[in-house]
Amino acid sequence: MRQMKLFLGPQHPGMHGNASVHLFVDGDIIKRSYLLPGMLHRGFEKAMERKLWVNNISLIPRVCVPEPDINEMAYAQGAEKLLKLEIPERAHWIRMIMLELARISAHLMSYGGLGGPTGHYTLMYHAHADRNSILDIFEKISGARVYHQYIVIGGVRQDLPKGIEKDINAFLDDLESRYIEYRDLGIENPSVIARIKDTIMLPEEVVWELGVTGIGMRSAVGKPYDLRKVMPYARYDQVEFEVPTSTYSDARSRVDIKLKELVQSISIIRQCLKKMPEGPVRVKPSRGQSMRWKVPKGYVYSPVESSRGEFGYYMVSDGGINPYRIGVRGASYPQGLLGIEKYMPGTRIDDCALWVDTMGICSPEIDR
Amino acid sequence: MTNSMSNVEFVKALIIQHVRPHVIDIIDQHQIGFEVDQNEIHLLLLALKNAGWIQMSYLSAIDWPGENKFEVVYVLFNWDKPVYVQLRTKIDRTNPVIDSIIQIYPGAKYYERECHEFFGIAFPGNPDHHKQLILEQWDDIPPLRKDFDPKAYSDRKFPQRTYTEDYSLSNSESTKVEKRKLRKQRAESLKGGKKQ
Repeated sequence: MRQMKLFLGPQHPGMHGNASVHLFVDGDIIKRSYLLPGMLHRGFEKAMERKLWVNNISLIPRVCVPEPDINEMAYAQGAEKLLKLEIPERAHWIRMIMLELARISAHLMSYGGLGGPTGHYTLMYHAHADRNSILDIFEKISGARVYHQYIVIGGVRQDLPKGIEKDINAFLDDLESRYIEYRDLGIENPSVIARIKDTIMLPEEVVWELGVTGIGMRSAVGKPYDLRKVMPYARYDQVEFEVPTSTYSDARSRVDIKLKELVQSISIIRQCLKKMPEGPVRVKPSRGQSMRWKVPKGYVYSPVESSRGEFGYYMVSDGGINPYRIGVRGASYPQGLLGIEKYMPGTRIDDCALWVDTMGICSPEIDR
Repeated sequence: MTNSMSNVEFVKALIIQHVRPHVIDIIDQHQIGFEVDQNEIHLLLLALKNAGWIQMSYLSAIDWPGENKFEVVYVLFNWDKPVYVQLRTKIDRTNPVIDSIIQIYPGAKYYERECHEFFGIAFPGNPDHHKQLILEQWDDIPPLRKDFDPKAYSDRKFPQRTYTEDYSLSNSESTKVEKRKLRKQRAESLKGGKKQ
């Protein structure tokens, strides 16, 4: 049969974001494939070199659209490492609340995204409705729904508003009460299981070859390789949580882990709200006014565990008021580019959308 | 395990066994950086990979036009001994070439391709390093080099937009005066102890 070229995305219900997968197919079996990134390239790395350390806070959340807070955290954490700055205790706990809320919201979005390729849009609507409640909480805390610019160098921008604990707890209780329902809608649903079970395998040796991190790695390796556990940042060493793993990585087990992580995040936020001390939330990173803040010379790599894997900023300062070089390590870089090129051939067309969804490929962070 | 510096010391001893690094900077208990010669990179990457640093997290470059050098940086991670290792090496800027590492870390393939696109560094050994990845039909020097000016590029590349009304404050003398007046008024109003 003649080979045919197909485009999956950028306009496709199973494709997340503005990237396109080029597929060369024979029947419905993929023979050759590659990702075409670049549709969202906005030159962030260059733009960051030309802005001040304090200005970049408003730029970086745009690097990853579904989960912007990890960018702020990685950037702030890296700059604090260069400055050798100790931030107030309360700020650490507020950061953890923000990060875990963001993780829940990203997991919900990605779990809802499973509704696209499998044809269960109910799932998507439920998940997006719940994500909306998180955005409401974010709006109360930071004034913005998606790009918060809340975690800044030296702590967080402002203290939590009064009574927010009640809102957060109400939301968490609500989400927890419907956890079983979520499972039934998605991964316990026989027609979804038929689509996602035993497809899109990720063996352990492939994980190490590509350099996949996050849920993809944990679902294949079976060890709790989570940066929050392995090298705790913020105050993750003072909360109790488990890292769900498995040793058989098909699309279903990855989604299953995603849902189990959701429960762990709920428990982390509850612990944070209980253990959070009172006190200041921000310190000044450097002398003088913010336009003249200088960061000492140095090279630092600042990693954060995002919902998709290890997300890091490589930061270089030459001691001036602008960063000298900032490089972004997108969490979905290995599985998005090399993974699609090497491990898509041999699978079916409809499995490709599942790879994109369950491996959490986020095109803005590949492009930057 | 996580509270001690022993893992960082382990990496340091491992590296010193093989080569004599120019710079060693211990950033914290989970991170250490080395600056080494270009021809030592492959040896060290292999040694680190055999010692458990099986994940290559990041590969990129930094431009130092003052020294006429590019600095290529490799960031590796070991999940069992949680230490990030930065290996940095300076290469010549006028003819930037460094051998590919895809034989050691296959995941580096696309990082090298991106690095070639944004800095113009060649990676012989990587079959695709010269192909375009993100930038489409780029016709200037690689954009992350320090001597590339995005403003000049966009002025040259895109037509100047003409505006029907002039909103700019910098050119018109009258608006400047008005602006100064407004600022003065505001300062006066604040002086009286009135708080908004």
